Amino acid sequence: MTVYLDHNATTPVRPEVFDAVLPWLREGFGNPNSVYASGQRARAAVERAREQVAALLGAGDASEIVFTSCGSESDVLAVSGAAWQSHDESNGRRRAIVTSAIEHEAVRLLCGQLRRRGLAVVEAPCDPEGATRVDACSALLNDEVALVSVMHANNETGVLQPVAEIAAAARGAGALVHTDAVQSLGKIPIDAKALGVDLISLSGHKVNAPKGVGALWIRRGVRLAPLITGHQEKNRRGGTENVAAIVGFGLACELARKELETAAAHALALRRRIEGGVLLIPGSRLNGHPERRLPNTAHFSFDGLDGHNLVVALDLEGLCVSSGPACSSGASSPSHVLTAMGVAPALASGSLRVSVGWGNTDADVDRLLGVLAGAVEKLRVAAVGS
Amino acid sequence: MSGGVDSSVAAALLAEKGDEVVGVTMKLLARGETGFGCCGSAADIDDAKRVCERLGISHYVSDMADVFESKVIRPYVESYLGGTTPNPCVECNRSLKFGHLLALAEAWGCETVATGHYARVEKGRLLKALDPAKDQSYFLYSLNARALSKAEFPVGALSKEAVRDKARRLGLRTADKVESMETCFVPGRDVRRFIEKSAGAGARGLAPGPIRDRTGIELGRHTGLASYTVGQRSGLGLSGGEPRFVVSLDPDENAVIVGGSEDVWSSSIIVGALTWTGPAGAARAEVRIRHRHEPAAAALEKLHDETVTVVFDEPQRAPAPGQAAVFYSWEVVLGGGTILRGENL
Repeated sequence: MTVYLDHNATTPVRPEVFDAVLPWLREGFGNPNSVYASGQRARAAVERAREQVAALLGAGDASEIVFTSCGSESDVLAVSGAAWQSHDESNGRRRAIVTSAIEHEAVRLLCGQLRRRGLAVVEAPCDPEGATRVDACSALLNDEVALVSVMHANNETGVLQPVAEIAAAARGAGALVHTDAVQSLGKIPIDAKALGVDLISLSGHKVNAPKGVGALWIRRGVRLAPLITGHQEKNRRGGTENVAAIVGFGLACELARKELETAAAHALALRRRIEGGVLLIPGSRLNGHPERRLPNTAHFSFDGLDGHNLVVALDLEGLCVSSGPACSSGASSPSHVLTAMGVAPALASGSLRVSVGWGNTDADVDRLLGVLAGAVEKLRVAAVGS
Repeated sequence: MSGGVDSSVAAALLAEKGDEVVGVTMKLLARGETGFGCCGSAADIDDAKRVCERLGISHYVSDMADVFESKVIRPYVESYLGGTTPNPCVECNRSLKFGHLLALAEAWGCETVATGHYARVEKGRLLKALDPAKDQSYFLYSLNARALSKAEFPVGALSKEAVRDKARRLGLRTADKVESMETCFVPGRDVRRFIEKSAGAGARGLAPGPIRDRTGIELGRHTGLASYTVGQRSGLGLSGGEPRFVVSLDPDENAVIVGGSEDVWSSSIIVGALTWTGPAGAARAEVRIRHRHEPAAAALEKLHDETVTVVFDEPQRAPAPGQAAVFYSWEVVLGGGTILRGENL
């Protein structure tokens, strides 16, 4: 049996969600924009899902949710849309984006592209424990900043970011604020209003919904230049809605909201056992703040081995974990997140991320701890021997 | 798995036999560099992945760019700069495929490492491939007994055509893929440019110098020792008279020595850095001095532990310092080493 401990990469679709999705791939295939009854039913299903997603953010107004195809699309719509909107509305004065040094590639690569297209992009550094520095971020703010984009929790280390503090400072400077909360959703409470941000990116497949659906929470009154033009989603995102996946996303959010406390406690208990066992291995260390992290994520480094090779070794033992973000598997260059934290390249390349989630048990942790020390030892011998 | 047809079929044959097989592609070039196939370019990795999907086996990419740089590319460049002609495939097989990768595979719990080489292993001895036209045992001579005990060459008993047929029958996308015949990490087969890029245009070995005949008379100018190989005729830029061939390269004088066609024949060569696949030492062997060279009968006279003089029964044309000399007893590889110099007639 395969043990899945990579819930930050993606998650299994819960059976309840699967069952809820199926009818919308069968008889419920209607286009939610159609006039007739089957279209209206589809539309109602999408709107119900919208309320379920909004509820998980504590947002009373479901119309602030726009459905997209994925978390990356939400990021691009938010960052690109807000940056250009603000740029244009200020007649080009607001032309800077402030972001963190540890963003997900979806934001990071986009910012690189926007920089090449003439916007200024500046990165606020993070501290050695993986949290973006509020003081450094504030120091970058001025009346030329269109948007501040800082993720809610880091996907690699799980370290929680001081988004509320950064948002307060950013709003004082008149900038819009975006946070990529893809990795936090369903793992810790997110209160959109209390955070004080304007835009929040979400993804379905990280919360036990199918792939192919994401959402962007857009605070009422905030205008974005659309990425995909069209009249759907109140002109904010064109394209026929992915009804089945949206229904699944909605239900997954409702389940996550109801189970948030128990799921977090369960994840934390498993994570603590994993950390206790892994850190007994000589030459191991935990990356990121010891406490201020997602309850489900533990990120380790091991001396004298390549994390990618460790992931292969564990896969051959039937264990799914990762050495870096799933998007860059195969490349052994150290992650930009660990580099930004000041982790030495040799240690950064020997990294392992374990992320637990729905369905994991103590037995799964036992399986991991049962083989990890041996795999680490063998790879170290191989690295020295050849 | 390079993403070529040979390693594709090697994997297929093992999987068909019922072995538990995982595919691995070594990523040998750093991001942004492009080689000429077989070095883990994005397209080759994709081909290997697709083949493994077809075979229903796992596939992994292992980044070995650092080791490849230090063990293969740098010595390759150094060799050219020093006026010798390197054989990077030998070192890649020894240090990467049956060094680094083998160690990794053992750590992963694998029992053997199989490649798409045309060679055979029987009872711990390395043998030529059954198809003499494809034989690659020359590039594998430096595997030691331990490596050979872990090595499998599933296509070594097949002809190239049989391998392609097998790939076609299995519907593998690599079935008709063009073979890479050149040094895989040198883009556009332009060795000179690669050396310049790696070592800098001012490096020794790239500096112009004299072309001399064997008596020391200057006949012209050369563009740097790195552009010449013993036995080479064209590209000397000499006009008139008899055809001239490179007889030797003299790094001390930065000179290219040329002579007539008869001057490139050697009756003996000094071979160093010896390795043996089995018991060390043999008094006689058939010696192959380059890929596709017909092994020539010779006596092996020991100079030191790691050096022998190979005395050919009949003189051989243009043994090039830096190339491998591989000792055979009929189809068995006994061992081999690096040609240090040839004794001209």
